[in-house]
Amino acid sequence: MLDGEPLVRWHWLGDHLGYLAGLTGDHAVIALVPVLIGLLLAVPLGLACTRWPRLYQPLAAVFNVVYALPSLAVFVVLIPYTGLATRETVMVPLTFYALAVLLPTTVDGLRAVPEPVRQAATAMGYGPWHRLAAVELPAAVPYLIAGLRVAAVSSISLAAVGALIGRGGLGYLFVDGFQRTFPTPILAGIVLVALLALVCDLLLVAARRLLAPWATGVAR
Amino acid sequence: MNWFGWLHDFFADPAHRSGPDSILDRVLEHLAFSAEALVLAALLAVPLGLLIGYTGRGLFLVTALTGIARALPTLGLVTLAVLLAGVGDTAVLLPLTALAAPPLLVATAEGIRGTDPDVRDAARGIGLTHPQTLFQVCLPAALPTLLAGARTAAVQVIATATVAAYVGLGGLGRYVIDGLATRDFPTTVGGALLVVLLAVAVQLLFALLIRYATPRGARTAHVDEPAGSPALSKESI
Amino acid sequence: MIRFEGAAKRHPDGTVAVRGLDLDVPAGRTTVLVGPSGCGKTTILRMVNRMVVPTGGRVLLDGADVATLPAAQLRRGIGYVIQQAGLFPHRRVIDNVATVPRLLGWDRKRARARAAELLELVGLPPETARRYPAQLSGGQQQRVGVARALAADPPVLLMDEPFSAVDPLVRAGLQEELLRLQAELGKTVLFVTHDIEEAVRLGDRVVVLREHGEIAQLADPHTLLTAPADAGVAAFLGRDRGLRGLGLRPAADVPLAKLEPVHDGWQLTLDQDGRPEHWLHDGQRHPVPVFAPARDTLRSALDAAVLSPSGHAVAVDADGRAIGTASRAAVVAALAAPGTPEPDAHDSGPPESDAHESGAHESGAHGSGAQVNHAGR
Repeated sequence: MLDGEPLVRWHWLGDHLGYLAGLTGDHAVIALVPVLIGLLLAVPLGLACTRWPRLYQPLAAVFNVVYALPSLAVFVVLIPYTGLATRETVMVPLTFYALAVLLPTTVDGLRAVPEPVRQAATAMGYGPWHRLAAVELPAAVPYLIAGLRVAAVSSISLAAVGALIGRGGLGYLFVDGFQRTFPTPILAGIVLVALLALVCDLLLVAARRLLAPWATGVAR
Repeated sequence: MNWFGWLHDFFADPAHRSGPDSILDRVLEHLAFSAEALVLAALLAVPLGLLIGYTGRGLFLVTALTGIARALPTLGLVTLAVLLAGVGDTAVLLPLTALAAPPLLVATAEGIRGTDPDVRDAARGIGLTHPQTLFQVCLPAALPTLLAGARTAAVQVIATATVAAYVGLGGLGRYVIDGLATRDFPTTVGGALLVVLLAVAVQLLFALLIRYATPRGARTAHVDEPAGSPALSKESI
Repeated sequence: MIRFEGAAKRHPDGTVAVRGLDLDVPAGRTTVLVGPSGCGKTTILRMVNRMVVPTGGRVLLDGADVATLPAAQLRRGIGYVIQQAGLFPHRRVIDNVATVPRLLGWDRKRARARAAELLELVGLPPETARRYPAQLSGGQQQRVGVARALAADPPVLLMDEPFSAVDPLVRAGLQEELLRLQAELGKTVLFVTHDIEEAVRLGDRVVVLREHGEIAQLADPHTLLTAPADAGVAAFLGRDRGLRGLGLRPAADVPLAKLEPVHDGWQLTLDQDGRPEHWLHDGQRHPVPVFAPARDTLRSALDAAVLSPSGHAVAVDADGRAIGTASRAAVVAALAAPGTPEPDAHDSGPPESDAHESGAHESGAHGSGAQVNHAGR
């Protein structure tokens, strides 16, 4: 209970702007680098799964389970390998979570190209790999970006849990506020995490407009 | 130290065999608390989702709500709830329910919305009322989607309940948090492993439930055959 | 020229799609493969660009076995149009059309200039070039599909039910356009359809297939409709094949009567330019069904005569001015004359030899149609 402590002490925020900015930057790195790595892994894996469809079923099953693993438990299990309170301990699981979201969306996107389009491409003289790169991959971009939006937002909110093992960017504000019975940093943390997620989401929407104008221009 | 040693220490500890800190008690605690949050969330989200999905109104709101819920940090919500409402299970139940509701809401609404419009038309055409159409036609067809949403919500709740041990909640998170606080590695790792196993078990349970529900959905989809096509083919002949 | 030599396709599961086809597809003409679904017509088409590899026999393109040519190179030299157009959703219309020229190594500017040319050729306004496929109607997408197939000026064009997914009105427009294009370009077209109407309209030669790609009949459209090879072909052509055959004959065969103010008690009113306005009868106005002998088919003439309340169809010129009339009897008399396959192959009116036809038709025609003798144009 708060015992007269106000919900927000505005001057605390004013006094800690630099500190909050630093935490936000750290948080962005911890949360978003894994998403980028996840993307870099998801695209070749997705292409391989499209080319050799037998690969997809087992991979999808594995990532389905991975995605459902509670983050705190996975962080803890990794500590013996990557150390307590290191970025890696948080970033490695986040990479797998991102991959678990991005692999199915990549494959869905690559498969979303209608069969007639595929046949037309073959009939015009595209080989299988050339067709994947020139037709299927660009057509999958809207799906990839939709997946990135989910992955980025989830990653940003999950990264905060890292604070419990000593490295959670903005998540530290929750631990700190709770220990001192001081709600101001907690509220600041919630708002900043949500804001970071919102900014990423808007950037990705803008990226879709830029990279896949046919998908937005068409949405009537 | 190695995994084998840690796990041996964890499972051999007499305190983990019986009493309030025993593994069985912690698992039951975790499950009971998660189920409570899930049922509360379902009581809120499913009726609302049925309504929104059937009428098609407010779908945009549902999507926006899930987006926001996904962006909120669970640890932040849990700590804030306890600071504001006081230490205790009820204070934690609130954010847990709030986090479980959006996936259920979205899955229910979209599952109902996704029912084949022809099937709905046929149901109305052969004289079913709106509630009958909703519960006898749309709901069975939407059940697999709904259960998939419930699986997401369950996974979310189990994970958040683990985190909530930080603010005093019981369950398997206790091992993880207490172990971290006392640098007692066997306890931390043992607890984490149990959480992982529990999450996988719940996933499997839901996978079975969804598989069981799917043939029913398929059977409902066949409603349009007796209702639709014979009438059509008679006309065309 | 495309030649099928015992070309066969047996699926791995043992089912036979095409048993063994021998067929010559002459250069510069349109050959239509028509048959019920499952007759193997699409398989036959796709053997040409090796989308289907024959399990027996071979397919020759200008004397070379297509199996010996590199697939990509072969396909870049063959235009291919399919039912759903298959446009690339992520590329603008102009870049869709420029695809094959780009694959052949043309620079972007030249490929786009060529694409713009083709869009104009298939009758699309220039502003469509910048659009994405999903922003076009089905008919427009199909035109883009045709333009894309023609982009690298391939001598051979394969068309697999290209117009069957659009509504009938648009389909008729696209067929007209294809006839115009083909008259201009003279490609070797192999066209697959299940629609006999479309087959006789577009084909110089029509190949009717039954199952396993066996040829039931190969003929020009007129012969096909008037002399089906067997009962099976006749059944496939449908009960009204006689009427449909009229659609291949020019309305110019109908002898015209001089324009009179009154026909059998019906008064024809014209506007100041000489275009028909109404049939007047007992003070009531009725519409005037017309046909244009220079452009329409015998089927249109018959239609106009049947629909006309006075029993007389009014013939008009290209500007819609009345130039004569034809009674139902006169039209029927024209039908009885032996047909001519090409509308533009004939240049004048009254049929000369009723002699081959049955006496009943003949006397009927002359009995009620005295004015036929005054036919003139």
